[in-house]
Amino acid sequence: DTWRYAFEEAMDEVQGKFAQKFKEEIEANSDHEIQLFPFGTLGESADTMEQAQSGILQFVDQSPGFTGALIPEAQVFFVPYLLPQDEEQLASFFKNSKAINELFPPLYAEQGLELLTMFPEGEVMMTTAEAVTGPDDLDEVKFRVMTNPLLVESYRAFGATPTPLPWGEVYGALQTGIIQGQENPAFFIESTKMYEVTDHITRTGHNNFTTAVMANKDFYDGLSEEDQTVIADAIDAAFDYIIDYQKGLTEESLEKIKEAKPSITITTLSDEERQPFMDTADSVEQEFLEIGGDQAQEILDQLKADLEAAADS
Amino acid sequence: MPSPAIDDDIDDAGYVSGLPGVLGVVDAAVARIEAVLLAVGVLLMALNTIANVVGRYLLSQSLFFSEELNQALIVLITFAGISYAARHGRHIRMSAFFDAAPPRLRKAMMVVIAAVTAAAMFLLAWYAVQYVSAQASRGRLLPALQIPVWWIIVWAPLGFFLTGLQYALTAIKNMIHKDIWLSTSTLEGYDDTGEEEV
Amino acid sequence: MTLAIFGTMILLLLAGFPMMIPLIAGSLIGFVALFGGMGQLDTMVQQILGGIRPASLIAVPMFIFAADIMTRGQSASRLIDLVMAFVGHLKGGLAVSTAAACTLFGAVSGSTQATVVAVGGPLRPRMLRAGYGDSFSLALIVNASDIAFLIPPSIGMIIYGVVSGTSISELFIAGIGPGVLILVLFSIYSWLYARRHDVPTEPRASWPERGRAMRRALWPLGFPVIIVGGIYGGIFSPTEAAAACVLYALILEMVVFREMSVKQLYATAKSTGLITAVVFILVGAGAAFSYVISFAQIPQQVLGGIGIDEMGQYGVLFTISIAFFVGCMFVDPIVVILILVPIFAPVVDSVGLDPVLVGTIITLQVAIGSATPPFGCDIFTAIAVFKRPYAEVVKGTPPFILMLLSVAVLLIFFPQIALFLRDLAFDK
Ligand code: NA
Ligand code: NA
Repeated sequence: DTWRYAFEEAMDEVQGKFAQKFKEEIEANSDHEIQLFPFGTLGESADTMEQAQSGILQFVDQSPGFTGALIPEAQVFFVPYLLPQDEEQLASFFKNSKAINELFPPLYAEQGLELLTMFPEGEVMMTTAEAVTGPDDLDEVKFRVMTNPLLVESYRAFGATPTPLPWGEVYGALQTGIIQGQENPAFFIESTKMYEVTDHITRTGHNNFTTAVMANKDFYDGLSEEDQTVIADAIDAAFDYIIDYQKGLTEESLEKIKEAKPSITITTLSDEERQPFMDTADSVEQEFLEIGGDQAQEILDQLKADLEAAADS
Repeated sequence: MPSPAIDDDIDDAGYVSGLPGVLGVVDAAVARIEAVLLAVGVLLMALNTIANVVGRYLLSQSLFFSEELNQALIVLITFAGISYAARHGRHIRMSAFFDAAPPRLRKAMMVVIAAVTAAAMFLLAWYAVQYVSAQASRGRLLPALQIPVWWIIVWAPLGFFLTGLQYALTAIKNMIHKDIWLSTSTLEGYDDTGEEEV
Repeated sequence: MTLAIFGTMILLLLAGFPMMIPLIAGSLIGFVALFGGMGQLDTMVQQILGGIRPASLIAVPMFIFAADIMTRGQSASRLIDLVMAFVGHLKGGLAVSTAAACTLFGAVSGSTQATVVAVGGPLRPRMLRAGYGDSFSLALIVNASDIAFLIPPSIGMIIYGVVSGTSISELFIAGIGPGVLILVLFSIYSWLYARRHDVPTEPRASWPERGRAMRRALWPLGFPVIIVGGIYGGIFSPTEAAAACVLYALILEMVVFREMSVKQLYATAKSTGLITAVVFILVGAGAAFSYVISFAQIPQQVLGGIGIDEMGQYGVLFTISIAFFVGCMFVDPIVVILILVPIFAPVVDSVGLDPVLVGTIITLQVAIGSATPPFGCDIFTAIAVFKRPYAEVVKGTPPFILMLLSVAVLLIFFPQIALFLRDLAFDK
């Protein structure tokens, strides 16, 4: 059969790399064929999600931030300073987390989706017009964030003026100065050329961009056990591949940025400088518990336990 | 020559429904509501957009719902408008070949065009109902407004249905009346703009 | 399937169906063929709704609204009087000014459709009065508005930059050369047109007359300040600038000039809503149609068989030009870029083409395609706003398309038209 797989990024970005590896594995180990649909070719994020729910698409990659409108618990990944920045710790967490592998799947199932995996896409960094060393530097800074209540709350707590803006307008708005900041992983800042219109990149370590791959549930349940195994193996292979692919990707992307624009400053905040940002995390966590759905508390507690386990291992 | 925009305003008070009796009264009322929705939708859109700018600069506070509200309004305007446009024969068509045909053929073509268009609109209305109810059952919320998504798209099935109705009536009107009707209230060649109809 | 779809669409269009029907029929056939029945037509509705929702499209109704208020009141005519005081005595002066105004406004607003209404709305009546033919005026407005794509900021270039990993700043600068070249060509053509049709000139205005025109236009000169200053100054997004223009227009016409009543405001808003609806339903239906093309991977199939890997640089550039030109005649430019750029990326890379040059050529083709029959979105915007028949809007187009295509060919053989400024700015 031909299976269709849509994702939210371009072919050469992290989600695209994952999808290509998945396709390669499936096609090598079965008679099925995978067609890939990158960002925008079948509509916006919410559209491809609905198409996966209705079975037009068999697979979809959507980040929990967008899924939050359907599954409020998924927004937990926006609580700042929850996830560690250490790549190995992260990988082990995503692989073994009970929250991800046991608590989330039923929530996705309620929406007609089989959660196949979640994986990290890289440390989220701030790009700004002025240098940032603490929340004071974000005062009055119009900062573009996705329209997610928790992100908005985070940046408000950081002292910025969170400003919603459709993605297509971000580059222009940074250039003319309507907004003075935005956040994204390094590879994305590089591939979307965001660095051309910004002067400072600050690593505050507040988050790691997370994304999830799902299948349409009826489709998945209707598959033979053999096919389900092929899919599970392909997902595992793609997961290992993408973790490996990302090793050093952040540094590489930052180097490319530095090379293309030598005047840019890239600053990693010290633990001390991060502390005032970290102090705001509690308020966002509270907000999550309020809007994160019935299982918000359970998910948050389990995630924290899983993270501890990952740190110990 | 006066500016073209002014004399082409549609006079809603002078609108006569193509339908008889009570149906006509209902139809005229629907027409009035469509007109009000169009005007109010556009005004609200301007107000909303300006308020967002004012908020951002004077209050350091962006209106997070601004974009979603504009989305809601554009859906409202589009779907109130397609029915209103059908009513007044204002949909865009490429009429060069049509206009060159002899009157009897034109009339027959108008019946076919109106009937097929009506069928397409009813079909879309039906699937729009499906789409809206699927949205309602999934319970997706608009992230900023925190209201269900289906609230802002419920105009789609309604707009398709009312548009289909207008075209169906146009087909019938062309069958039972002489002359060629672009819509239930607009005769072909009827010149309410001082210019050609489109 | 591909032939059945395009054939049906053209047939329905020519038969005089409302223009949404060919697009809807094309999508319907596609959905039914792809999914073996009507089961997935709710996704077609999803795409129609998705097509009209993008935030950047809101600028279109806002500029329609502002332009309509200005035209009904005094703002527009005072601004145009000012222009005429300076160029009215020159052969073709008004046409050249219109082209220049479209370029400037389009450059800043980034929206070709908004330009058609905001500049064309007030200027077309004046061109007619001055003796220019309507199909010439319409074609000039529609095509000059498309220069908007080439001059920064350009949403098309941003999308291309992201999809292809090309520097957006370099693309922006590379677009200026061809953009200006097109404006020059249009100006020469306008001048020739005015000479051949002997469009009368006005007597040269004296400096006191020009001063008077300037004073009368003092308030309305706030519009260019809001738009150009507001957007480049980082105060507004183009959409917000449009809304600010609405507010400013309302203040001028209702308070300063006392030209507009509340009742007229209502009528203007309603008329704006109506124009918006008839254009947006086409944008929505076009999105559903784009979905079919994208989902069925029709471009991949069509391009798969032509052996592009065997071609040299020129062959690749011509193929790209033709593919984008044809694509944009039927499908929304942004979607065309999203689908086609990744298909061509490997071969662009392997024959060693400069991605900035390719991006500029693609952007130019996209601009041409948006003004090209049958489904160029600027054409139906012009039809809705000016209430002129399709045939008449399209009639004057060929010379303009010819000029645009020659720029495309020039660009292929003389890439420096685009790259000269880029190399200068980026030390290459
Ligand atoms: Na532009
Ligand atoms: Na087009």
